[in-house]
Amino acid sequence: MNSLSALRTLAYPALRTEAPVQTLSESAAPKSIPFTELEKLSPGILPNPIGVTNTTPAGFDRLVTGLVNEVSAKQAISSEAVNGLLSGQNVSLHQTMIAMEEASISFQLMVEVRNKLLESYQELMRMQI
Amino acid sequence: MINILNGIDSTSSALNAERIRMDVVSQNIANVNTTRGLNGKPYARQQVVFEAVLKDQLKPAGTPGSEPQMVRVSHVETARRQPRLVYQPGHVDADANGMVAMPNINIYEEMVDLMAASRTYEANLNAVKTARSMALQTLSIGKR
Repeated sequence: MNSLSALRTLAYPALRTEAPVQTLSESAAPKSIPFTELEKLSPGILPNPIGVTNTTPAGFDRLVTGLVNEVSAKQAISSEAVNGLLSGQNVSLHQTMIAMEEASISFQLMVEVRNKLLESYQELMRMQI
Repeated sequence: MINILNGIDSTSSALNAERIRMDVVSQNIANVNTTRGLNGKPYARQQVVFEAVLKDQLKPAGTPGSEPQMVRVSHVETARRQPRLVYQPGHVDADANGMVAMPNINIYEEMVDLMAASRTYEANLNAVKTARSMALQTLSIGKR
């Protein structure tokens, strides 16, 4: 629930700046609020990229890039394990299988995130103004 | 690093350990008739000893489950059993009375050990499979 709602807020740059403004104050607020203000209003609304725990608030693009990098790293580990196994190094069969499985599942996770993104984008495009 | 398959680390180490146990058992079976080992004496039965280790020993133990306990083979020890004496006067390694010292290996015992190792391996494989299918089922939340 938490992570999903964060995704939705950050899925689109326009939403990120304007949607909270409209809900918080109706007319008097400026068109956009800087990120630092947003952080003060609702701490924790901006998720950090994976692997980074305590930095300045990051955009959603960095989160996605981090996820893609993670998946790529898993794939690299998996192919390294396969190469090691096939070239007769000291890599066991089950380690290779587990690495391959992890790579596959994280790739599927990435695809799911991409599907969600696209879905929210299309929903936005269908919106009547 | 994102952790997709949680708790797999200890299972993976168990698979490794059981693999080594199986190797040692098959080595025992292979050497059941070896009257001349590396030290000139009959082959002595080997057995593995397992021990639990924390995955990251630098970190203090936190909440249960957060710090997986891995298993590893601490050492392979030699069983202290007397060799079996068999009467075979023509044998090269026979002593003055015609007795040959055979390894202290009971083949039935080794077969049972082999089965136990194989079953434990299987159980750990099932744990991996379950973790995988749980992850896939969780991903299907997003599907419609």
